Amino acid sequence: MVDGFIVTVIKGFALVNLLMGFFAFMTWVERRLIGRFQQRLGPNRVGPAGLLQPIADLGKLLRKQSMIPTGARPRLYLLAPFVSLTCAIGAFGFMPFGGLATIPGTSLTFHLYMADSNVALLFVAALGSLGFYGLLIGGWASGSKYAMLGGMRAIAQLVSYEVAFTLAVIGVLIHARSLSFIDIVHAQSGWYWYILPQFLGFLVFMVAAVAESNRPPFDLTEADGEVVAGYHTEYGGMRFAMFANAEFINAITLSALAAVLFLAGPEGPLLPGPLWMLIKTGLFLFIFIWLRATTPRVRFDQLMSLGWKLLLPVATLNLLVTAFFVVYGSSHA
Amino acid sequence: MLGDWASLLIYLVFAATVAGSLLFLSLAAGTRGKREGRQKAFAFESGVSEGAFEPSNFSINYYLTAMLFIVFDIEIVFLYPLAVVLDELRVFGFVELCVFVAVLAVGYVYIWRKGALQWK
Repeated sequence: MVDGFIVTVIKGFALVNLLMGFFAFMTWVERRLIGRFQQRLGPNRVGPAGLLQPIADLGKLLRKQSMIPTGARPRLYLLAPFVSLTCAIGAFGFMPFGGLATIPGTSLTFHLYMADSNVALLFVAALGSLGFYGLLIGGWASGSKYAMLGGMRAIAQLVSYEVAFTLAVIGVLIHARSLSFIDIVHAQSGWYWYILPQFLGFLVFMVAAVAESNRPPFDLTEADGEVVAGYHTEYGGMRFAMFANAEFINAITLSALAAVLFLAGPEGPLLPGPLWMLIKTGLFLFIFIWLRATTPRVRFDQLMSLGWKLLLPVATLNLLVTAFFVVYGSSHA
Repeated sequence: MLGDWASLLIYLVFAATVAGSLLFLSLAAGTRGKREGRQKAFAFESGVSEGAFEPSNFSINYYLTAMLFIVFDIEIVFLYPLAVVLDELRVFGFVELCVFVAVLAVGYVYIWRKGALQWK
């Protein structure tokens, strides 16, 4: 442990709650922004400017009648949202928010990250992929053909973009020579942000990230004209909200990952690390919301050919070009 | 390094607690429905319900995609360690990478020409 046991427990508790709080805040931001994009106000009744809307929603969702469909396998049906949400929150664990911090007025110091590992990036991808099981289990256990189709479709989409996603970040790894987030952030100090030398990789990463988190225009898993609501057709109340929650937290994790890999995460002038991390993550989340408001949904075969026929070769090309310049060029030390 | 995984485990316990408590609350805090509401417990169906859905045959595309995923994901797993040490291996590493990608490219062109990447 980078800090003592007690401090680690406090940090873990704080990080989970901050993440959930940030998620609640971002659902409000998203609804307000989508409202603006569509020439309306968005939620503005509960609390100042509608800020307490997420809390009202939580209360409403919890009080919804707990229903298990007659054809469902009850245990797996209940397990699915739990798997999705646990993996989604868990994948955020390695995110760095800065280096050593001192509590003001004392000499106590602690690290602004839960943990660091030389396989941190692989772990985030692994736990993100483990979350796919939630969708597959949910789709299968619902006992509904639309849920089943949606679940199958979700897996096909997610594994396809997992390939482009994991391939796109290799360029960053060649530059940074490590999979540890702390090392990757350090390697970008002095304004050597990887978004410039890795712009192609960044573009592939962003497209894949939108598809990975099932966000529009790649929300094929819940294309209502085709599969009703996809894998969560039979879910309602809080259990549906857990799926939606997991999906949004995946979007937050991928935004934070983009901030770390391409924009040096918590590094930046004047402001403290956590604030920079928040600004950069927020920037990517805004792009996610912007895309949702302005793009129509793609067709499923278009989605698959984009992933396999365009992103995969482009990511491989990016990898080869990066390797060439790192080995033969003098741009990097 | 092992200690870092211990702190991550603590974090994961909190993550599971959040998810678990939400699941528990959805069961405990929900309003109780009346007994006669059986119809609404049927799975969603546009039209007359035929009872529970039994998963049977699925389009070959799903299996194909899964197999391709395994092939390419294992490729990427091999590339990760190479990418990390590429700076030390220099020219040898780069040539090695090119050979590896070239072999894959042959397979990639083959499956493309065979139409495996086309969703039908």
